[in-house]
Amino acid sequence: MSGPMTAQTARRFNLAGGAITLVTVICAVIWAFPIYWGIISSLKPEDEVVRPVIELWPETLTFDHYWFALTETQIGSWYLNSIVTALGVTFITVTTSMFAGYAISQLRFPGRTALWWLILASFMVPTQVLIINHFVLMANMGLLNSWAGIILPQLIHPVIIIVYKQFFDQVPRDFREAAVMDNASEWRILFKVYVPMNWGVTTALSIVTFIWAWNAFLWPFLAVTKTEMMTITVGITQVWDAFGVYYARQLSAAVLAGFPVALAYLLFQRRVTQAITLSAGIKG
Amino acid sequence: MAEITLDTVSKSFGAVKVIDDISLTVAAGEFVVFLGPSGSGKSTLLRMIAGLETIDSGRLEIGGRESQNLAPGQRNVAMVFQNYALYPHMSVRENMAFGLRNIRMAPDEITRRVEEAARILEMDALLDRRPAQLSGGQRQRVAIGRAIVKEPAAFLFDEPLSNLDAALRVRTRVELAELHQRMQSTMIYVTHDQTEAMTMADRIVVLNDCRIEQIGTPMEVYTAPATRFVAGFIGSPAMNFLPVQIEGSAAVLADGARVPLTVAPEGAAELGIRPEAVQVVGPDEAVVTGEARVVEHLGDRTLIYAVLPGGAEIIAQDGGRSTVAPGDAVPLRFDTSQLHLFDAAGRALPAA
Amino acid sequence: MIRNSRKESLIAYALIAPFVAIYGLIFIYPTIDMFILSFQDAPLIGSGDWVGSDNYTRLGRDRRFGTAAWNTAYFVALSVLPGTLVALGIALGVSRLSGRLQALVLALFFLPYILPVSVVFRLWDWTLNFQFGIAMHLFDWVGIDRVPIFKVTAWFMPAVAFVTIWWTCGFSILLFLAGLRAIPQEIYEAAALDNTSRWRTFRRITWPLLWPVTALVLTIQLILQLKIFDQVYLFSQGGRPNDNLVMVYYIFQRAFVNDHGGRAAAIAVVLFFVVIIVSVLNFQLMRFAERRQ
Ligand SMILES: Nc1ncnc2c1ncn2[C@@H]1O[C@H](COP(=O)(O)OP(=O)(O)OP(=O)(O)O)[C@@H](O)[C@H]1O
Ligand SMILES: [Mg+2]
Repeated sequence: MSGPMTAQTARRFNLAGGAITLVTVICAVIWAFPIYWGIISSLKPEDEVVRPVIELWPETLTFDHYWFALTETQIGSWYLNSIVTALGVTFITVTTSMFAGYAISQLRFPGRTALWWLILASFMVPTQVLIINHFVLMANMGLLNSWAGIILPQLIHPVIIIVYKQFFDQVPRDFREAAVMDNASEWRILFKVYVPMNWGVTTALSIVTFIWAWNAFLWPFLAVTKTEMMTITVGITQVWDAFGVYYARQLSAAVLAGFPVALAYLLFQRRVTQAITLSAGIKG
Repeated sequence: MAEITLDTVSKSFGAVKVIDDISLTVAAGEFVVFLGPSGSGKSTLLRMIAGLETIDSGRLEIGGRESQNLAPGQRNVAMVFQNYALYPHMSVRENMAFGLRNIRMAPDEITRRVEEAARILEMDALLDRRPAQLSGGQRQRVAIGRAIVKEPAAFLFDEPLSNLDAALRVRTRVELAELHQRMQSTMIYVTHDQTEAMTMADRIVVLNDCRIEQIGTPMEVYTAPATRFVAGFIGSPAMNFLPVQIEGSAAVLADGARVPLTVAPEGAAELGIRPEAVQVVGPDEAVVTGEARVVEHLGDRTLIYAVLPGGAEIIAQDGGRSTVAPGDAVPLRFDTSQLHLFDAAGRALPAA
Repeated sequence: MIRNSRKESLIAYALIAPFVAIYGLIFIYPTIDMFILSFQDAPLIGSGDWVGSDNYTRLGRDRRFGTAAWNTAYFVALSVLPGTLVALGIALGVSRLSGRLQALVLALFFLPYILPVSVVFRLWDWTLNFQFGIAMHLFDWVGIDRVPIFKVTAWFMPAVAFVTIWWTCGFSILLFLAGLRAIPQEIYEAAALDNTSRWRTFRRITWPLLWPVTALVLTIQLILQLKIFDQVYLFSQGGRPNDNLVMVYYIFQRAFVNDHGGRAAAIAVVLFFVVIIVSVLNFQLMRFAERRQ
């Protein structure tokens, strides 16, 4: 059933297409609206927040709640804890995965296949079921309420090794051979050729690992009981008396908690989407 | 500059033999080309010299030093890869210096060598660029520069021109030949392009099916092919082969035509003759008359694809202004000084 | 290539050592420990008697375990398929756009996925607030009576599923977009030349070619949602946690609230096997589908 498209059907196509585009854009705005609404509400005085009318822009703009959160609560310590633990998780996970991924991809050694299968298998194991034993382990090691205790159980990310292995596998064999002819030792091949050639993935994986670690809730929530050792995601929801029943204050704390990751995403949008599709096993 | 000797080396990948008992000596300063069809084992042999493939049995000496068990870096040879394998994250300068830094050479010596190489290859202006900012030909030069700075005993090239366009390939070919003239170093060069082999080589090593068919200067390989394979592989258009019976002092074609020979053993054989030795002549001079099927005018000469009375096909060459047309009867004469005879095993028989 | 296999092995072991050490300490050891603990009548910290399979047989009679299992299944049903369909719809819409508009629209849809669960909780707790939430204006406008959504059991799971879809959809959208981009444009051009209608194009071209990605998204979502805890815990605060129990929540409650380490481990083992069986089944199913193509 073929034939030239009539002008009429073409116009109908364009109209329908335009309508779909419009609907998509409207949906996107509605979709993100709760975020906007949260931010806007955090900038209103408390009495204006609870007014029963919809004000899309504050009548009086105020940063009082932010000032309160930053000065009157422990949010500073929480921020520090979040930054230290998220950076720790990112650094350790990415470097150890990079080394292991390189060894599995490029070197031959007894136990290589077994290790690879173990990693693939662990991909299926839900880490949430290990919370009891992680807690016992960290308690026995005396690491509860410490940065190390928050970091350690978050270091299981087999997917990062898998992605690294894929990328190292894809480096043409010529480069390895050229480096061997160039007298490079195995360490120099890794650090001067393979790692720099894959900076892109390393950046992408580091950013998402940071985001995952910053956003972690369950484990940091269990590992910490002292308020000053909490990460920000735990602190803003678990310390009841910190903000009282002041919605705008709570929202300002939430905005502060979400700000670093949202910023990381907006700055590195391409890298984040690349890493996320990679982590699902799809080539970006 | 060093001599390279291979003594009965072999190599298998699993059960498949890829190099079978090859012995070969490359003299110091010589430019040797490994030529052969795809899959003949050229790259493998080169990589065995480089140390990128193990040598299963046999000896390899580079500059008098037994080398078959040395790591690639210790053999003092440099290799230029087909895809250049330039490190994309390093500048040209760093690419060339990498191998020298790895052996902890003094920085000023590194600088000196890099600049020297850049001068030889006329790429001083490119030193701070990344490979991605270079053209194909420039990348090629950097790859060669990376080899030069090591001042190696020998250079190994694996089809280094195959990624360049035709014009650039010709130019680079000339430059490489000049480079060899200037540096006088040992070079081994792998290609399946016979023009490259003929124009650049001091000696050609023709490989086929894991074995060496012939080693010789380009002219030897062309004018005195040791086997039927070499005869057919080298030269374009390819040599004509006609089944013949040798009786007395003549080769008898299928239709009974006789081609006079001086010496030859009796019996069945194959007569090889290059198109340029098959001349179109007047009817009374003809040894045999064929029927023209296709006529290709190349300007300076004309190729005539003809069929002989016995059914054999033959390519003849005529002058640029040939008037032969398809369907014509063409009287042909063979230049008896350029005849080749091959026995059933494909070995050349003394002929002419 | 010439390799010194002894040296190569040593380097390899040096490279995998940090990973293996961490992995042994916080993955292999705790997993084994979990199994052992599940056969003991132990508190959270400290040892207990060996009780065989008691902890498991008790689960059969455990009302709270029933609630947790049911709620988890209910939540999975409410979130996985609807979430995937919503993501597919959005991805189809976004893929039609191009350039900056596409980047902007995609960012709007994707932003929630980047946020910590605590922030998502605060935003929706506020948006759906019984007294002041902007969504309640919508309720008034439509004519539904206002409800304290997270305090009413019937509303709880659907609402959490809704918020979860909003939160995690961005991930699925990205996968769908990658899948859509992988479909060659020529196929659509050929279809357009044949005057194929929009719906037929989708049914006959997009959907079959997108099926592998859809299967992937469903799998990932299914496994992810089986492990739900954070949202349920946060939205239950000050509400009725016992009615809203899900599997991980129940593990948490048994272990950290009731101090029953052994019984909690038994629940963890059950969830462990459920997730693994689902993963393996999915994997086999996908392989089977691949072979049939
Ligand atoms: N790593 C390997 N494993 C198994 N077989 C191999 C390997 N490398 C090469 N071979 C085989 O060895 C034979 C020779 O290969 P080689 O690469 O040396 O050929 P070549 O002459 O360089 O061909 P080309 O002109 O195509 O590059 C081929 O049949 C090839 O299939
Ligand atoms: Mg080759």
